[in-house]
Amino acid sequence: MELTAQAIFTGLLMGGFYGLVAVGLALVFGTMKVINLAHGELVLLAAYIAYAVESQTGINPLLAMPIAMAVVIAASLITFYLTNKIKKDRELNSLILTFGLGIVLTNGLLMVFSADIYSTQSAWFMEGLVIADSLFSMRSEMLAFVVGLCALGGLYWWLNHTWHGRAIRSVSSNRDAAKLMGMNPTKAELWSWAIAGVLAALAGVMLYVTSVIHPPIGHSLTIKAFIITVLAGMGSIPGVLVGALMIGVIEGLTTTFFQSSLSELASMTVFLLVLLVMPSGLFGKKAGH
Amino acid sequence: MKFLGLSGFIGCALGLALGVGFSAPAHSANFVIGEHTPLSGKLARVGTGSHRGVMTGIKVLNDKYAGQHTFELKTIDDESSPAKAVSAVEKLASEGVIAFSGGYASGVIGPASEAANKANIPYITFGGVATALSQRGHEGFFRINSAAGYGKALVGLVDEMALKSVSIAYSNKEATHKMAGYIEKKLNEKGLKVSTHEYDAHVKDFKSIVNKIKLRDRSEAIVMVGYESEYVGILRAAKLLKPDVKAMIGVWSLATGKMAKEFPDLMENVYGTAMLPFPVSFNSPKQKLFYEAFKTNFKDEPSYLEQFGYVQTRLLGEAIVRAFDKNELNLKGIADELRKTDEETISGRVRFDEHGDNPEFVQRVGQHQKGKIPLVWPASSKTGEKVFPGTPWQ
Repeated sequence: MELTAQAIFTGLLMGGFYGLVAVGLALVFGTMKVINLAHGELVLLAAYIAYAVESQTGINPLLAMPIAMAVVIAASLITFYLTNKIKKDRELNSLILTFGLGIVLTNGLLMVFSADIYSTQSAWFMEGLVIADSLFSMRSEMLAFVVGLCALGGLYWWLNHTWHGRAIRSVSSNRDAAKLMGMNPTKAELWSWAIAGVLAALAGVMLYVTSVIHPPIGHSLTIKAFIITVLAGMGSIPGVLVGALMIGVIEGLTTTFFQSSLSELASMTVFLLVLLVMPSGLFGKKAGH
Repeated sequence: MKFLGLSGFIGCALGLALGVGFSAPAHSANFVIGEHTPLSGKLARVGTGSHRGVMTGIKVLNDKYAGQHTFELKTIDDESSPAKAVSAVEKLASEGVIAFSGGYASGVIGPASEAANKANIPYITFGGVATALSQRGHEGFFRINSAAGYGKALVGLVDEMALKSVSIAYSNKEATHKMAGYIEKKLNEKGLKVSTHEYDAHVKDFKSIVNKIKLRDRSEAIVMVGYESEYVGILRAAKLLKPDVKAMIGVWSLATGKMAKEFPDLMENVYGTAMLPFPVSFNSPKQKLFYEAFKTNFKDEPSYLEQFGYVQTRLLGEAIVRAFDKNELNLKGIADELRKTDEETISGRVRFDEHGDNPEFVQRVGQHQKGKIPLVWPASSKTGEKVFPGTPWQ
């Protein structure tokens, strides 16, 4: 019982973080139908900025957030600019473009920061939290979970209750119709990329305080985010949350009751089964509607 | 036609006589050594360390043979990919390298050394410990370390601790998988209860594994067979869950100065294999030679990666010179000379058996103690006493 409870708890915490990583990718995918394969590297870029700020100044890595956001938003907008330049088969060619940008970013980080592994030096993040005498987590994991939930909730609210958010939704729903209604689709897309940059920066700083960073991990973050985005249904924020928590819990339970090395296989199996039953994803709109 | 044939014959005979039989032995040469190593990708950290060792080996060889021979190194980044390593070997072979020094990870070294074998070029490494690598019958494959050396050290330490049960957490990569299997088998033979937990290289949260060890296995020690980032994950989870174990033990990449510096709160009392203590004092002339050459090039403290890379390259260079002196600068000649090697190096004694393995290789074990890493096993190499029982949270 104790094992099961801890496995689910760990899975939920992981899921919250996965959701934070995936939601930026889902937003851009929803708006522009572009899968940004450099998204994981943008997350990693923010993590390295947090490392650089902490190691150079000794201050709390969370205080690196404004710098991380500025840099990652700029990188995200450059990616948007380049993607927007593609005039033919944008959905396909943007995959190649962003994959290439991801490689450039990974190697750039490798050149600047070397291949060494880094994590926060602040012991506060690693201190334990114990709930009901049997559920254990590090402070940083709980923080990442809360930040993930807040980011997803905030984004959901923003998309539904602000002018810019509604503009993004309308462009996502029907770009041409939005244009006829007097909206500037390019501006809405630019907003979605900027917000994706903010979310990637949040995820990156959380990654740095919860885990260990080194240049090759950006790609695996992208893959995880991509799986959650597709599982969620195109651009669905509630779908991202449910999908991410589901993946996290499946991984936690598989590790506990079978083997950790089977956790990716288990989550992929569930992913395929969900798509088999619900081809548009958990919260995706059915074709023709 | 007959006249031409005769003149051709005479010409050939003269040529042969001048070129081989009556020529004065050549005294100088430029030897080009090839290296494929992961300077990017998931193995970039270890690949960079290995590369720095190889470069130091080349520098020392050039200093030693100055005015007589020169050694040139051609390096290609294999990006931690077996396919790219094979391409690198083929490209370097076409550019005329006479031997390879390098490579990391058994899964990469396997196909890369296969390509070197097809090109009739000898290959020396320390980066892959899978047993199968040296069992393929390659005349030119040499390895200065072995899985057994690491395994013996861990088993020896556990034996000395008189433990009754051990849990092994290991990465599902080829080398770590095999190493864990070796340790499990040896500990089972000694009558210990052994539980194993395989994990994927992408796992970031080790709490579920450690919790299983804490609540289900209830082992007396955790043995970790993986890589740096995974050790940090396991140790963080263990520090949080505080399983009732007496020791945390790891294999490579753990008992290093870098880990002591980067993760001081996690490393206290943790054991790992090590050739030399940290901070290291290079006292013998051979050690000083390496250390000074390394410091000149990199202004940094060398780890075991640099030491191994250096040793393999220097031994290869010496074998090349000996083969050259005998006019046998080919696969067989260099391999024969390498097989004659029997030397006390800065990484211990090196000699090669018929498979190209070094049967003398035995690792030592160090323990993180207040920012230092004294050697605590075997008794003959001890530079300090182990803190036992001891974990980072005790």
